[in-house]
Amino acid sequence: MKKPLVCVLRTDGINCDEETFYAFEKAGADCRLVHVNQLRKGSEKLASYQILVLPGGFSYGDDVHSGKILAVELTSFLKEQLEAFVEAGKLVLGICDGFQVLVRTGLLPDRNLGVIKTTLIANDSHFECRWVNLLLERSHCVFTRGLEGSLISMQVAHGEGKFFTNPATLQEIENRGQVVFRYAGTDGRPTVLYPANPNGSLNAIAGICDSTGRIMGMMPHPERYVERTQHPNWRRMPADTVPHGLAIFKNAVDYARQF
Amino acid sequence: MIQEVRVITKQGITDSKGEEVLYDINYALGIQSVEKVRTARVFRFEGISSEDAVYLAQKLLAEDIFQEYQINGPVLEDAAVVLEVAYKPGVMNPEAASLIKSAEDLGVKGLVAADSSWSYGFYGKNITEADLDRIMNSLLVNATVEYVVRESPKTLIIQGTPGRTEVIPIRKMNNTELLDLSRDKLFLNLEEMKVVQEYFRRIGRDATDCEIEIIAQTWSEHCVHKTFKAKLIVDGKEKKPLFKRLKDATEEVAHPLVLSAFVDNSGVIEFFDGMAICGKVETHNSPSAIEPYGGAMTGSGGVFRDIVGTGLGAKVLASTDMFCFAPPGTPQDKIPAGCLHPHYLLRRVVAGVRDYGNRMGIPTNNGSLHFHPDFRAKPTVIVGAYGILPAATSRKSWPKAGDLVVTLGGRTGRDGIHGATFSSGEMTDRTMEVNASAVQIGNPIEEKRMFDAILAARDEGLIRTITDCGAGGFASAVGEMGSKTGARIALDRAPLKYPGLAPWEILLSESQERMVLAVDPAHRERLLEICRDYNVEATVLGEFTDDHHFTATYEGQTVMDLDMEFLHNGLPQRVMKAAWKKPVYAEPVIKETGDWNKLFAEVLSHLNVCSKEPIIRLYDHGVQGTNALPPFAGVAEDGPNNAAIMAPILGKPYGMIISHGLNPVLNVIQPYYGSLWSAAEATANAVASGANPEEMALIDNFIWPFPDEESLGALDLAVDACVDFSRATGMPFISGKDSLSSTYRGRDGKVIKIPPVLCISVFGRMPDVSRSVSADFKESNSQIVLVGHRNTDEMAGSVYYDLLGAVGNNLPKIDPGALMEVFKAVYRAIHGGKLLACHDLSEGGLAAALAEMCFGGGLGASIRITGEQKAEYFLFNETAGCFLAEIPHGANPETIFGDIPWAVIGRTVPEPLITAEQSGETLFTLNLEELKEAWQRPMKEVFRS
Repeated sequence: MKKPLVCVLRTDGINCDEETFYAFEKAGADCRLVHVNQLRKGSEKLASYQILVLPGGFSYGDDVHSGKILAVELTSFLKEQLEAFVEAGKLVLGICDGFQVLVRTGLLPDRNLGVIKTTLIANDSHFECRWVNLLLERSHCVFTRGLEGSLISMQVAHGEGKFFTNPATLQEIENRGQVVFRYAGTDGRPTVLYPANPNGSLNAIAGICDSTGRIMGMMPHPERYVERTQHPNWRRMPADTVPHGLAIFKNAVDYARQF
Repeated sequence: MIQEVRVITKQGITDSKGEEVLYDINYALGIQSVEKVRTARVFRFEGISSEDAVYLAQKLLAEDIFQEYQINGPVLEDAAVVLEVAYKPGVMNPEAASLIKSAEDLGVKGLVAADSSWSYGFYGKNITEADLDRIMNSLLVNATVEYVVRESPKTLIIQGTPGRTEVIPIRKMNNTELLDLSRDKLFLNLEEMKVVQEYFRRIGRDATDCEIEIIAQTWSEHCVHKTFKAKLIVDGKEKKPLFKRLKDATEEVAHPLVLSAFVDNSGVIEFFDGMAICGKVETHNSPSAIEPYGGAMTGSGGVFRDIVGTGLGAKVLASTDMFCFAPPGTPQDKIPAGCLHPHYLLRRVVAGVRDYGNRMGIPTNNGSLHFHPDFRAKPTVIVGAYGILPAATSRKSWPKAGDLVVTLGGRTGRDGIHGATFSSGEMTDRTMEVNASAVQIGNPIEEKRMFDAILAARDEGLIRTITDCGAGGFASAVGEMGSKTGARIALDRAPLKYPGLAPWEILLSESQERMVLAVDPAHRERLLEICRDYNVEATVLGEFTDDHHFTATYEGQTVMDLDMEFLHNGLPQRVMKAAWKKPVYAEPVIKETGDWNKLFAEVLSHLNVCSKEPIIRLYDHGVQGTNALPPFAGVAEDGPNNAAIMAPILGKPYGMIISHGLNPVLNVIQPYYGSLWSAAEATANAVASGANPEEMALIDNFIWPFPDEESLGALDLAVDACVDFSRATGMPFISGKDSLSSTYRGRDGKVIKIPPVLCISVFGRMPDVSRSVSADFKESNSQIVLVGHRNTDEMAGSVYYDLLGAVGNNLPKIDPGALMEVFKAVYRAIHGGKLLACHDLSEGGLAAALAEMCFGGGLGASIRITGEQKAEYFLFNETAGCFLAEIPHGANPETIFGDIPWAVIGRTVPEPLITAEQSGETLFTLNLEELKEAWQRPMKEVFRS
């Protein structure tokens, strides 16, 4: 079967690139680690790829705001390439720092480069690394097809992951079904309370997509749960448990095969 | 002209940083007059117009959704007081480079310099000057690197004219002059100063400052480990040098997995599939004592560079941290002059490890925290790192004559000068002022991209050899690499952070995030191209020669020309006397325990027992996706594990296991047995998780008071313990470090020595991570089995004794040979899938281990204490190398553990209670939730979680 090609974007301070690469390859894709300098120089073109993933890390130290310096760089130098990529209906995934970059470029929530409508701000608590429960909302998100309504377990590790926007925009993305993940308690109900909601996100939002469902950003790390033994409690779980992060990458790969 | 942009969070939106500061003011400092704190970011730009500043504010600095900005005007005007805190000029602010890059990306022209800082607005009607002084001095400003901005700076550009190279007339100096030259700067003794003098008399000229500085640095205790190499006279009899004893033991043990021991920047053992793993553990006590945030950061950065500087370059897989402080609640008047308060030290050291490791993408997944009042003299800050590399590139090669000396990464500044020599001196009330330049703020992003570039260069075969630029800077890195050949460098080629450095400063600067490579000239262009692609600055400083000299020039003038042989082997071996006398401590008055609930709560909330979870949550311990046994697991993910197990090659089952052990108070009672305890605890942690004791290697870190006769006698015993442990178990020491300056000497003659610390770290391999166990109980009605040798009368140094206000004398005496048999049996049991859970016993004893297993499993336990034992001793004895194991109901422990000591002490129960009976009577019934609350409370309070 045809393997879609994934551009795993790197730059100074990106540090979840290798496990993201591994997750996509395990899901059936071919991956390349591409440095933003290569795109700026033109030695690599986004058009060669079917999926663009912005992995986690601290791009440029997360100076000023998390993901900001990279977002400015992308909107300043790669605007046309990004627009063409998105216009072609290809997939974009931002994880953690990548999500922060996507909201700060404006690709989320409205595919409107340069217009920031939602943001991710400092956690109400502090940097927090823990496994959380995520409730998958009913949405048209390509990455979570078939998972709607389920409760999955994933790790967060961030200091600036509180989803924040003004009331009107919040209502808009809720109405349009752009909320993909919410932090939930062990009872499966969305919560704004620490530690189940590690950052104080509005409406317990952990991840959103654009209106086409082809651009998704999320604070939790699906790439850290594509092997059984990556879960802290794998010893307490049935041996045939399917790692919860894998389905997200598989959905992306399956969708991208059409290009 | 400087444009100032101030950015604040809009009213009504949480200002997390402000809330954090308020919490510290209210709880850590106990100041209630401050009712609210709001913060503002301050950005300064030199060389641009105010229109450009507005543009930057809108596009880069402030996000309208939650922030507002002010150009060249004040913010937080409704606050009672607003104070701005900034890095001092010359202290590198990592954010400045990002500001400049982004402004350029946005097309803003003319920007020549940028800076950023924080403003704090304090709200409250009754805030006094004294309150503000304490808030500034104890919380927000570290005067070593920061200052309160009273007036906006006129320029952000640091100017300076390079100092000249001075000639020091050392040949004519008398003893007093030689000692004056050494004091506070060189830290060499008179005999050593005379050897230096003799060298220059012999070559018939005076020394340059570069030469004197490099000799002092190369001969510093920090770099050359004089004490560990000294001829020792112990109780009147000569003994082998300490370092030789450790090396000899490793050679005798001749472990088949060892690929490199004591010769490289880290120790290396074989892994699987042609790969090797390596480990290094470092201390960063002195810098952390005066600037804990920067000190801990540069400690992490340095030990990571040791890993990437191993063989031809390794990838860093994990970071560990072990700290010792005085209790965070220590009254301020008990803190010696010139020392920082432990509450501040603890929080800032943790923040430093967090910010470096997290940004580098290196999981910090193993560590511990220990408290003793005497660490107020100087904290112990130990940071470790582990890595992976192809076995074929794991051995160091030497540069060839003609190879280029290439420096990579950060620029050279005045920061960190004299770090190596300063770390070798004792702490005094003058340490803070005299050695302020020895600390700096790290830049993990610089290091991360440099590592990315190095691994790419390694994979293309471009590196002849590599080492990190740590203590002693270029002097040490180039000097050591060229020690067998010779090297010539041009100091004026080194890229500088700002002008004005004298040649000797360039040579000695310990600016972080730099590595030195030896590169065949044929690979020069490709290497430089890779570096450009990764935004890494690379510079050819000179070349390796075959003249066995270390030569440096500055603008064509020779400023240093030393014989490598003299530099590296000219230091006379010290002869040192050692004599340890056993102290006698008071024995406690043992009373009948009336309230078991209270006693358990006191033990579990003891600082050396309590949960350290709030710290772990601040560290990204899951990045790289390698964890197979994380620091905490269990139903509520709050049950601690014994070790970290990682599967570093994604998709393969191969495991690397990491653990460690230390117990400073035992070394105060008897350093030989205290040290055996550390080794036993370190290895037991790994074995309890499933490690094979025959596939592990050890790393030693000695953090000791200044080696006077008494302390050196203690050190002698500790090293003997390590050697005996290694011989008895077959586990080799393959790396180590000593730091022998943890004594405080006050102006009034007051001397405080820290309890001697021996931290043993362990790493090893396992073929399949799925053959391992966690510590949380899995099922109710399982059998709980106590495994291992212990004499419960050996209670000295225990938490239980500490609660009775005594230390005692009869400490656990572990027999490493017998221990190894226990280890093998436990390993066989776990490997064979017979255990559901396993936890080793350490501080807090069986009681703490049992409670932690219950917390993790969400299950209770019901135990029986046999009639002839004293219940308190049974519960709280801390002999290392013993285990609690969970085996299924109905399983036969005899067939699992064979002839090593074991006893079924009880079973797990579904109710959240721990009950014990003795001689047919119920001794206690304890509520698990209450115990957990007590166990979690202390660190939750310190870390606001």
